[in-house]
Amino acid sequence: MQDVATAGAQSESQFAALVAALAADPERREQLTELLREDHPFYDQRGTATTVRMRGWVLLALARAGVSDAALLFVLEELDTGVDAYLVAAAARALRSYPSPTAAFAPFVMRALTNIRYHDEPVSFENYGEYADSSTGASPVRELLATLAWLGPHARGVLPEVESLRAQPGGLSKKLLIEVDRAVEAIRGAEQVNELGAATCCALPGGLSNTFSWALSSRRGCEPIEQTVFEDHEGAAITFKEFFRGHPSIVVFFYTRCDNPLKCSLTVTKLARIQKLLEARGLADQIHTAAITYDPAFDLPERLRGYGQNRGVRLDARHRMLRAIDGVNALRGHFKLGVNFIESLVNRHRIEAYILDGEGRVAASFERIHWDEQQVVDRTIEVLKEKIDETASDLSPEPADPPARRETASLMFGTLASIGVAFFPKCPICWAAYLSVFGIAGLERIPYSPWLQPGLAAVMLINLASVWLRGRSTGRMRGFYLVGAGALAIIASKIGLGWENAAVWGVALTLAGSLLSALSAKNRRLAAPGS
Amino acid sequence: MNKKRKTAKSATSARKAKRPARGALSVATSARKSVKQRVAALVEAPLAVCENDENLQAVLNVLRNKNEPVEVRLAALQALQAASFSVVEFESCRGDYIATLRKVAEDPDPELRQRVLGLLAREKDGFAQKKLLEGLKNPEKALLPPEKALQLLSYDVHAEAYPVARAIVSKPPNAAAKREALRLLAADATAAPLFEKLLRDKDELREIRQISASALQSLKPEKLQAHAKELLLDTSEYDDIQATSLTALSQFGDDEAIGKDEALLKSVDRLSARASTKVKQSARRFLSKYGR
Repeated sequence: MQDVATAGAQSESQFAALVAALAADPERREQLTELLREDHPFYDQRGTATTVRMRGWVLLALARAGVSDAALLFVLEELDTGVDAYLVAAAARALRSYPSPTAAFAPFVMRALTNIRYHDEPVSFENYGEYADSSTGASPVRELLATLAWLGPHARGVLPEVESLRAQPGGLSKKLLIEVDRAVEAIRGAEQVNELGAATCCALPGGLSNTFSWALSSRRGCEPIEQTVFEDHEGAAITFKEFFRGHPSIVVFFYTRCDNPLKCSLTVTKLARIQKLLEARGLADQIHTAAITYDPAFDLPERLRGYGQNRGVRLDARHRMLRAIDGVNALRGHFKLGVNFIESLVNRHRIEAYILDGEGRVAASFERIHWDEQQVVDRTIEVLKEKIDETASDLSPEPADPPARRETASLMFGTLASIGVAFFPKCPICWAAYLSVFGIAGLERIPYSPWLQPGLAAVMLINLASVWLRGRSTGRMRGFYLVGAGALAIIASKIGLGWENAAVWGVALTLAGSLLSALSAKNRRLAAPGS
Repeated sequence: MNKKRKTAKSATSARKAKRPARGALSVATSARKSVKQRVAALVEAPLAVCENDENLQAVLNVLRNKNEPVEVRLAALQALQAASFSVVEFESCRGDYIATLRKVAEDPDPELRQRVLGLLAREKDGFAQKKLLEGLKNPEKALLPPEKALQLLSYDVHAEAYPVARAIVSKPPNAAAKREALRLLAADATAAPLFEKLLRDKDELREIRQISASALQSLKPEKLQAHAKELLLDTSEYDDIQATSLTALSQFGDDEAIGKDEALLKSVDRLSARASTKVKQSARRFLSKYGR
């Protein structure tokens, strides 16, 4: 008997027979889920329409055999992002074979209904590859309404939306309105459900996740693709190593000819939103973003640029749209991409976003179901933190990130200036005495420079202003108050009030305030994003 | 208050507009009326087609019925197509409409078949694509001439039509089919070498060579630039191919490099003196762009 593992170049009818055999055999039923993976060899070099027929047939087999937890994500994915009538109808039917309805399914079903209602068409589930030429049978809208009725009171969270289907002008046909009424009646049913109201936009049923994470020690190295050459939206060449090493990155995959607006177009639009979230947190320089095309042969730089710009993507040296010059095969292996092709053209792909660590290794992935931009940013910040922690603990020779280094330098300079002002000698004799005290005899020849004092005072004020600005941006002003008090103390010690000792307090306050300010800024960068 | 009045007014005018449409529909579906009357009535009908199920079924029956005069059936199709533009209002009719189109796609009348398949192909309908591909692979089963089938398949880049289009280019049933196959392949990223070969082939029809230039601009613009330059330097090349090359270089070329390319500018200068009027004009525009 043929098996899933021996996919090769089997005909569609052989595939249909295999699916039927798997569905009928409880021991091998789980293999049906394997057949829903886009990268399965069965889908290699098949066209999109063929892929639709094959996947739809698997979903229908699952509808007969029962959807397991492993298959559930694929079914929900189709409801979340599907635009093909046959696949959405088959997924809606398959969902009804899940052992128990739950409120978390309702938003998926409602979203599918919203997406497909204006593309409703008859579908045939009787024989493999058959197209319906009569509207009396199944259709995606009919299947979705039946699924809402199956959910019953569990769909109470979407009841207003279901009811609004009746109210719209034009709207559904009489035949379908009967189905709507049936669904509404079932949802309003007397049965009380504990989880009512628990349904939220993108929550998945308990135990199911579309996010996968890898601990530092378990991440795959990226050596095999380090030298992979990309061309970016400007036509500039850059290797994987050059772009992705040294900082965390967020990577999404797409292609410009994708005709599902809920996939590539939305993914790239969401990438633009991620970039804005990073900017708002001052992290756009520390976390890179990239949108890599599945279709590098067609997606030339000009197309990449236009596609990104039209969706509000920020494009610069740290944020790029990329095409792998020698094709996507190496990337498919590294990322384990959920995609397949007919020649160089994509026939089917899943939604996928990845977070890479500073070594270019995959630290987390978001797959199939629409991901939340905030969640992706928060997870990336965790990866950024882990990079900084690692740097600190390893005493890595890699230089500290530039903003942190600049901050330390400015803190030291500002504080030294305050010390300079506080202890600046009043006359040439004091100057000589200072130098002698420090035992730097050789420096005695340095002339006394009265202009140095206003210079140091100016630097002290600049330090004060910079601490104020930092305080404003972090919302923590304690550092500024301390530095301000220190500056006042130093000034008081210098204007002849006889409070010379105040200079020491001034220096101490300045030092403490500057340190506090710098630490607040660093903590905010790492911790503020709600993680 | 005003808003309510406005809404009521527009609803009233919509009802008024639909009244003659309903009347037209009863004429259109009556077998007792003349063909001319029925066709004229169907022009008025779209507003009422989707008003209720009876109206819809009446028009669909006309379209399905092989015993109806084909002019009336074509007019019924036209009315349904016009009604489908109101996506929201048409929602309740869509299922029946698509099912009927699939049924009529294999109708004996070639014009009706072609129009129905055209409508389905625009919807990227899997059924229509399957039928069209079958016809291209096996001409005995073909519902449309190959050039038309290729044109309809080109509406969907994912229609699996590239292999069959390539087969038609290498062994074309007629010149139009080859032309349409090449147009379809202009979106196939792997077809660039084929277009390079065709562009440089002086024995090839010039229309085909121009399609090839346009396809190369889309698939491998840098290759087109290189070929365009060589085509302009070739004194035995056809005028219109050189005009296409001029356009490619002046619209999409690297201005700085072209401005410094003396051999190229000299060649275009010669063209401006000896070629046909249209090419002369293109050449002069090209030269003036680079300060000659």
